Amino acid sequence: MSRLVRWEWLRRYGALLRVAWLQDLQYRASIVLWLLWGVTEPAVALGIWWAIAADGPVQGYARADFARYFFALMLVNQLTIAWDSWYLDSWIREGELNFRLARPIHPAHEAVAENIAYKARTAGMILVVWLIVAAAWPAVRLPFGAGQWALAAAAVLLAAAMRFFISFATGLLAFWTTRATAIMELHAGISLFLSGRLAPLALLPPAVARVAGFFWFPYMLAFPVDLLTGAVHGAAVVQGFVGQAVWLAVWVGAYRLTWTRGLRRYGAVGG
Amino acid sequence: MCFRRAPTASLRLNSPPHMPTIVTAERLSKTFRVKVRDPGLKGALAALLRPRYRDVHAVRDVTFRIEPGEIVAFLGPNGAGKTTTLKMLTGLLYPTTGRVEVAGFVPWTGGRDFKRRIALVLGNRQQLVWDLPPEETFLLNRAIYDIAEPAYRERLVELVDLLELRDVLDKPVRQLSLGERMKCELAAALLHHPPLLFLDEPTLGLDVTAQEAIRRFLSQYRERHGATVLLTSHYMQDVTALASRVLIINRGRLLYDGALDALVTRMARIKRIELVLGPGDGVTAEALATFGTVKSFHFPNAVLEVRREEAAATSARLLAALPVADLSIEDPPIEDVIRQAFAHGVGQDDA
Repeated sequence: MSRLVRWEWLRRYGALLRVAWLQDLQYRASIVLWLLWGVTEPAVALGIWWAIAADGPVQGYARADFARYFFALMLVNQLTIAWDSWYLDSWIREGELNFRLARPIHPAHEAVAENIAYKARTAGMILVVWLIVAAAWPAVRLPFGAGQWALAAAAVLLAAAMRFFISFATGLLAFWTTRATAIMELHAGISLFLSGRLAPLALLPPAVARVAGFFWFPYMLAFPVDLLTGAVHGAAVVQGFVGQAVWLAVWVGAYRLTWTRGLRRYGAVGG
Repeated sequence: MCFRRAPTASLRLNSPPHMPTIVTAERLSKTFRVKVRDPGLKGALAALLRPRYRDVHAVRDVTFRIEPGEIVAFLGPNGAGKTTTLKMLTGLLYPTTGRVEVAGFVPWTGGRDFKRRIALVLGNRQQLVWDLPPEETFLLNRAIYDIAEPAYRERLVELVDLLELRDVLDKPVRQLSLGERMKCELAAALLHHPPLLFLDEPTLGLDVTAQEAIRRFLSQYRERHGATVLLTSHYMQDVTALASRVLIINRGRLLYDGALDALVTRMARIKRIELVLGPGDGVTAEALATFGTVKSFHFPNAVLEVRREEAAATSARLLAALPVADLSIEDPPIEDVIRQAFAHGVGQDDA
């Protein structure tokens, strides 16, 4: 890739990000609502586990461990969440995909820019809240280690990429069905249990944890969260990254398949 | 990260060295398979268990060529196949059978290089970012189409001037009127100076003033830049004001391809004689009826229809027999001609 081409892409992403941010600024109230929604779920889960752990640690998780876990979860969830199914569904159903297909840029780039803009803002806000809380409450402070944070950042990036492709590929099902977003809702429902949103995976019944291990769910959230809080070590770290890489590849493949087939179908039946 | 468009191959066809045909459609057909469903719960269940399909022939065996610089209008009632054809020419749909070549590319596989050469404006769908001023969409397109800054400035100034957009550039799109929005859509679509414009119902829903502004702009733009324009429209004024050539399409078939006035000559077997009668009385509808079919009679105005070949002779007889203050021979309104074409087709022997 020549330097000139790279510069063009920087300019394109710059322009896409600018539009995404400016648009978000138009809806400040809704950003706050989405943020509250993103905070409420882990806060409620933390409240429950806080009460359960009143008489002592639950399978090794003390109150402070739960607090750290759910603060990390809040941040990682905001950094990896992807709403693209909903966008794609409406683009396809409302015919807004047409002009996007007629432009010399793949529509996914707009979606990626949208994700970066959204995440930078909401995760930034959560980070500020976390820092303020951490100043007053040592329990939620993270053990510092540059290497560990770098690993966690890499895991978050992989998880964000995976969740993006899951959402994008599922959204593309709108080429065939009007229920694409319902499938995504179902996925979110399952991930509530299997990705660690409701409880650390270590606390799940062993059978459920084993089932989760066969899927991509733990790599979406639980693994990067555990990496951030320092709950995984050694071989488990390598295993986690391998799992992330494999599932990312699978979902990129699913995206390619739905995109190619979907466009062919769109081209055949119209929109 | 790299997203591949499907299919990825970019195919450039060989084209003759000078003034190549810019659009070629050869025996183009598009058949959709549509699921048939009876109404009610029973129908829904039946469709689920044993789906039935029906073939809809949206476009059948359509052949035409368009030369650079032409303005060509697709005319046809709703569902005639105009938009389907336009979508095949822009690569959104691929033809069931037949061959398309646009600006030297097969649209479906043309990729980025093809898309830089066209603009697609859909009257009922917009690319403008709804919540932001139109200039933000212009800036976005500058980056997407890799337009250099000086060229962008120059083109923006020209488009803002031609479309009179000065006062709307900084207002959010959602606050603009429909006409203002369509003008901004055109500006956004033309910043990369495409040699080929596809406009699907560009004046849909606009009031007369806005329609005229769009038409004026399109003809000015074409004069300045020599762009080729293909448009579909319901409005005859769009066609009479802009197009040098019309393609009339109905039920997927191309009925007529040629100049509009030639169509009128071919289709219209009648002429209209419009009379203004002079002072004096004695002229009755019955008296007029001996000269031709009386379409209207409100003294002193009368409109007669006569066979085309008899128009001159009848006029002479009218002038001799009646106190005529003014007389003109007209073709019937173009709407009538088109309606007749849709209803009865355009036979070669109709002239």
